[in-house]
Amino acid sequence: MLKYISKRIFLVLFVLLGVTIITFCTMHFAPGDPEEVIAIARYGEDLTQEQIEWVKVTEGFDAPIYAQYLKWLNHVLHLDLGQSLVTSENVLKEITTRFPATMILAFSSLIISLTIAIPAGIISAIKKNTIIGQFFMTGSLIGVSIPNFWLGLLLIWLFALTLHLLPSYGYGGLSHLILPALTLGTSMAAITTRLTRSSMLDVLSQEYIVAAKAKGLDNRTIILKHALKNAMLPIITFAGMQLGFLLGGSVIVETIFAWPGIGKLLVDSIYARDFSMVQGCVLVIGVTFALTNLAVDITYAFLDPRIRYE
Amino acid sequence: MANNKKRINLNALITCVFIVAFLLISGCVESKEEATTNELTIGISTDVNNWYLSQFPDGDGRFVWSQIYETLVRLDTDLNIEPGLAESWETPDGGKTWIFHLREKVYFHDGTPLNADAVVFSYSNESCVKKMGTLRALNSVEAVNDTTVKFILAKPMSLPFYLTHVAWPVMSPSCVDGSGNFISPIGTGPFKFEKQVTDQEIVLVRNDNYWGEKPAIDSVIFKVIPEATTRVMALETKEIDMAIKLPEYDVSRLEEEDGIEVYRKLSTFTDFLQFNCNNGVFEDKEVRTAVAYAIDTEEMVDTVLEGIGVAAKGRAFSPIMMYSNPDLKLYESDIDKAKQILAQDGWSDSDNDGVLDKDGNPLTITLIVGKGEWASRHISIAEAIQGSLQEIGMNVDIQVLESAAITSLENKGDFDMLLRTGYFVWGPYPRHFLVHQSTSPYSHYNNSEYDALANAADSTVDAAEQQELYYQLQEMVLEELPAFYLVHEEKIIATNSYVKGYEITAEDPWLNLNGIYIEKEQ
Repeated sequence: MLKYISKRIFLVLFVLLGVTIITFCTMHFAPGDPEEVIAIARYGEDLTQEQIEWVKVTEGFDAPIYAQYLKWLNHVLHLDLGQSLVTSENVLKEITTRFPATMILAFSSLIISLTIAIPAGIISAIKKNTIIGQFFMTGSLIGVSIPNFWLGLLLIWLFALTLHLLPSYGYGGLSHLILPALTLGTSMAAITTRLTRSSMLDVLSQEYIVAAKAKGLDNRTIILKHALKNAMLPIITFAGMQLGFLLGGSVIVETIFAWPGIGKLLVDSIYARDFSMVQGCVLVIGVTFALTNLAVDITYAFLDPRIRYE
Repeated sequence: MANNKKRINLNALITCVFIVAFLLISGCVESKEEATTNELTIGISTDVNNWYLSQFPDGDGRFVWSQIYETLVRLDTDLNIEPGLAESWETPDGGKTWIFHLREKVYFHDGTPLNADAVVFSYSNESCVKKMGTLRALNSVEAVNDTTVKFILAKPMSLPFYLTHVAWPVMSPSCVDGSGNFISPIGTGPFKFEKQVTDQEIVLVRNDNYWGEKPAIDSVIFKVIPEATTRVMALETKEIDMAIKLPEYDVSRLEEEDGIEVYRKLSTFTDFLQFNCNNGVFEDKEVRTAVAYAIDTEEMVDTVLEGIGVAAKGRAFSPIMMYSNPDLKLYESDIDKAKQILAQDGWSDSDNDGVLDKDGNPLTITLIVGKGEWASRHISIAEAIQGSLQEIGMNVDIQVLESAAITSLENKGDFDMLLRTGYFVWGPYPRHFLVHQSTSPYSHYNNSEYDALANAADSTVDAAEQQELYYQLQEMVLEELPAFYLVHEEKIIATNSYVKGYEITAEDPWLNLNGIYIEKEQ
């Protein structure tokens, strides 16, 4: 197991190298001169050509792309993510001040999503041809179709403006967390419900379930012990991926709820051609994504004894 | 069996946690509202990324800057020039040298006095003003004595206008340490910097040593709420007391709502449709004129912008601006005339597809709209333009692009029309006309007569002469159409009704909290 984990971590390094190279190139090949965009962000719209040239030289944009990348990589290997090209703030500091907010939101929306999706999925699988089953499936269809920004605003309108129960925006206590987590959680739950349902149906039609029924086990034991555990594998995989994405931040929900997460930082930095900030964010998001996947793979071994990593 | 129970119990537990949480929170929110004292909470759309003069304060940073920092010269709520940190000024040589006499007994937030050295520091080579094109003519700033500063320019200019710019205020040299690293924002303004929580809030407290009328409120808290709709709802729940930059579509609803005051004022910002006069169909002035007649800006204001703003009908300067020419012959929309102009110019629909053509080339044009602050407004305006131009047989292809992509197309000259807002219009100063000057990176128009006129206007100090030149420029813009000016924007700010004494300023970046107070019925 330990050998497997260390091998995976070793591979993650290559993934990160690939991801950062691709990001770096995409940013460079995107239309527009980065020096001009950065100069405008720093000094305002009314610029002189000399100023743009000066930014180009001081930030090293006149060097070939590979040289620029290697320079960045060299700094990273010395544990230095550099400074923002626009605001001169320390990149690592900017990311770490926002990362806790992203993490809290990611985990709580995942919990909400699974709390809704797994029971709903199981019920709609067991009662697949009944009104209850249809109800859950319709619900999840609606959930998939509702865009996050609309749901978010609707929730603010209901819970903050109409019922005066929750704050409409911001970051702080548990009360601030509920609406954004609910917005993200319910939309994810919709997909997970469908997945749980189909996975359950798959397992329930297998012979060992029939055998268990013939043996006289009660339905509850069959479903919760024998079926669910096997049906969990695809759900865990999917939840792991969702968590990975969530840890990369969610721009829409962060914007609507004024949630100080990493997603908006990344998107703003891309528009501003803030290379060092974008590279820093991508690196951090890449690491968390890879670690989440690793954690998922390890969970497999516990869920299914047939899977053992040697 | 034991395992199953555990899982079920876990679900039940989580549900319980959320129910308890809900109950707890409903208690928390109630108690928070009562705690509000003599502080003003303002919702803005971006955090302040920069506090130092070496960089331009972007986004909504200017609203916060204008509480902490002050400029030498100021504008009143109707854009009239008035003394700021300088009590008086004069130019001995017709605009090349300007001498400012500083107000006495003014202290920075750290107790150091305002003196000539601080002004010299604020306009040093470090400062962003020296890096911009706007004050390129500024050669040097010298301290004559402790309270007198001399600005020396390469050419005559109306410097006091420019020094009203909130992005170029006077900062204390103690903002930086010995090696020039920025420590904290120290200005002379009515509020002092207290703390900043990234992407969440900025807290300012009253400056009790303020030289002018001291604020009635103890503190100002700027809350960063990027989404305009959320800002509006936060205002309605009274989580914030004032919301800045509201969308047009919310205004009529808020105006009718009890307990909310909406403040509106014509600003100096004007949306305009810039033509690529150097390349493509708009090289032909007749086609530009047809577009000007085809677009009904009055209808645009009424339908797209819910009646907020003033139809420009081609006028470059908002009527609130000092040199806005009142006797211009504006474009009244006339579809038939537009069609006629195009027909006379040789355009006809020879293949009956609804789009005009000439020499086998269809009249299909691109209209570029930027993503960013103005995006939603500009996209709806662009769609209205698309509709109007379709009526005269022009096929408009709207492209929404990020700023870097636009710059790249602009540099290549690869576009037909661009939708912009007059970013360069700060206060009354008329620098905006330089945007159509052939040397400007934003210009897509080449006319030496215009260039000379714009230069002359920018180098004149005499008010009467200035006015005459700017009147001429406005006529020329209408006549020549390097751009067709669409809508003079209205600035919108809303407060809860318990916020009293607020006066909205015409100047966009300046947030004037003078005399504001909170009257809360407990």
